[in-house]
Amino acid sequence: MNTTTRRSAAGLLALAILAAGCGREASKAPEQAKDVATGKVAGEVTVWAIGEEGKALGAFAKDFESANPGVKVNVTPMGWDVAHDKITSAIAGSATPDVSMIGSTWAGELSKTGALEPTPGNLIDKAAFFPGAWQTVDVNGTAYGVPWYVETRVFYYRKDQAEKAGVEPPKTWAEWKTFVKALQDRGGAKKGFNQGYTEGSWQEMVPLIWQAGGEIVKDGTYTFDTPEAITGLKQYASLFQEKLAPNDTPKGGFPQNFIKGEVGGFISGPWMAGVLNNDGGAGFKDKFDVVPYPKGPVSGTSFVGGSDLVVFKKAQNRDAAWKFVQWLSEPKVQAKWYTTVKALPAVQSAWQEPELTADPQLKVFGEQLKDAKTPPPYPTWEQLAKVMEGELEKLALGKSTPEQAAKAIQAQADAIGTGL
Amino acid sequence: MKRTRGQHVITYVGLAAGLLLVIGPFLWAGLSSFKPESEIRRDPPTLLPETWTLGNYAELLERVHIGQAFMNSMIVALAIVAGNLLFGSMVGYGFAKLQFRGKNVVFALVLAQMAVPAIVLMMPQFVLIAKLGMVNTFLGIILPGLINPLGVFLMRQFIADLPDELIHAARVDGAGEFRIFFRIILPLCRPAMATLGLITFLGAWNNFLWPAVVAQSEDLYTLPVALNILNFAEGTHYNLLVAGSVIVIAPILILFVFLQRFFIQGIATSGIK
Repeated sequence: MNTTTRRSAAGLLALAILAAGCGREASKAPEQAKDVATGKVAGEVTVWAIGEEGKALGAFAKDFESANPGVKVNVTPMGWDVAHDKITSAIAGSATPDVSMIGSTWAGELSKTGALEPTPGNLIDKAAFFPGAWQTVDVNGTAYGVPWYVETRVFYYRKDQAEKAGVEPPKTWAEWKTFVKALQDRGGAKKGFNQGYTEGSWQEMVPLIWQAGGEIVKDGTYTFDTPEAITGLKQYASLFQEKLAPNDTPKGGFPQNFIKGEVGGFISGPWMAGVLNNDGGAGFKDKFDVVPYPKGPVSGTSFVGGSDLVVFKKAQNRDAAWKFVQWLSEPKVQAKWYTTVKALPAVQSAWQEPELTADPQLKVFGEQLKDAKTPPPYPTWEQLAKVMEGELEKLALGKSTPEQAAKAIQAQADAIGTGL
Repeated sequence: MKRTRGQHVITYVGLAAGLLLVIGPFLWAGLSSFKPESEIRRDPPTLLPETWTLGNYAELLERVHIGQAFMNSMIVALAIVAGNLLFGSMVGYGFAKLQFRGKNVVFALVLAQMAVPAIVLMMPQFVLIAKLGMVNTFLGIILPGLINPLGVFLMRQFIADLPDELIHAARVDGAGEFRIFFRIILPLCRPAMATLGLITFLGAWNNFLWPAVVAQSEDLYTLPVALNILNFAEGTHYNLLVAGSVIVIAPILILFVFLQRFFIQGIATSGIK
């Protein structure tokens, strides 16, 4: 789920007003979590959830209700387009629900308003989750909420074209390029590899920095001008320079160009398997496959996204709210949730459940999740993401060099700051 | 000047091309709502459905409480239209025909509001509505829409053109301001009110952000808000969205057909004079 790119001007504005209006000094000392009662709970729990999950959660929560007599879970679904505005407005107007699903990059800015409750350590075990997923709720050492489900990015390729060209899927950056070249020359993928350079492109570039051994944040400041970052940007740019990736794909041209075979590969998340099976028609399922990210100089770290669950301080029913969140984090419940909406479990042990071990493509995602990171949950991240998208487009069109791009991103990042 | 047959043909061909350009997308969406999803996404697209199906509508009914959302949208839109017709023309009458100190300054202030994007007002309005305890109520959704500066402007322009003599005559006969307004002015304002009604209805019917933020439970969702739940980047159900769009557009089309005569008259009057 591409939760990270959803932010409207209204949302930022709302936040600005919120921050100014509350006049709340962000205290430097980390907030302490309070324990919750773990006994019997009762009463109503209001929950907001977004999109497909919002539609499905109401019925899914019936199991929780029958396990906890006297509890009623009221789920309000909302669309992705409005979710962020709706939550920030609700915070400003003190009209929050008990629990809400949030996008995986929202925890920082929402926690800054002081409306989120730190995760009680006596109920939730941090070690149960993928470390990369936990990062999405961890704001400077204090966790707000829990990761609910995750997605991560892997390498998709046309199996039929690779067989025709007689090549194995790549394991390193160098093999990545020879693989694409072989698909172009002998497999029929004339355009090569679909590498994003418009909206969301930063999600394909940032992992390359990690794979080169770099960090995008160090000691509370952004670091985009390190040698490692430049190595990552060079790898990104070289696909375009060497004509291995097209920079003239019309908007909406993907994934049709993959189904038609014009491009032979791309990096994306688990939802694409469903889209391809659906749009590709009968038999396309056998024509593509997934492998983990090709390894860079240091690692094969991928991007992890997804969504989190948070509890608000003004929750009417705090104990039941946290108990519901905890229930959704149980391995068996997570596995059942996967079968309901195909959302990948954020809890590691859920991947041992039979629902998740059957599909070989799914296993690739499970493997990749062990080595996946998230951008820092800073309030300004979306702003910076827009900057990166602009710079990456210039890079893809050959209007700047990796060094210039690194410098430009860093300059803007310094100007914007982390917002904390 | 008499036109030749050839000129007529050219005119009609031109008009037909323009018409096609305008209704083409509607036509495609309307027809696509009867196609299975795989056909909608196909490249190159088809115009006429290869396989006709009502499945999209059936699925939509099952997944979204479309009947309820339709009713909610109607309630909200009609209440907002009624509010604008009444208050817009009242305020417009005041600005057009009554004399009071600072009239032009106040009118300028009203007009200045048209320059403020609604999005800027959203957060303060929400906080206000929340403090009034109207979050998650119809009243909260409707209240901020009951009057808007465009309506005031439109009505003022129209009423300003009505002859003062009518009002003087009524006053001489002993009618009070309310009586003049309801008995003399309002009946004459029909074309302008049709225009205002249509514009307001369109705005209220399509309004998304405000109802989405104020309605906190699904049973208060209006159509655009309910349909938005189905919209997400990687798995957008185009089949459901086109079917939903048809349901959203249909009442507007019907309304437009009915009000068309007034509508054109109203635009012409308030615009040119």
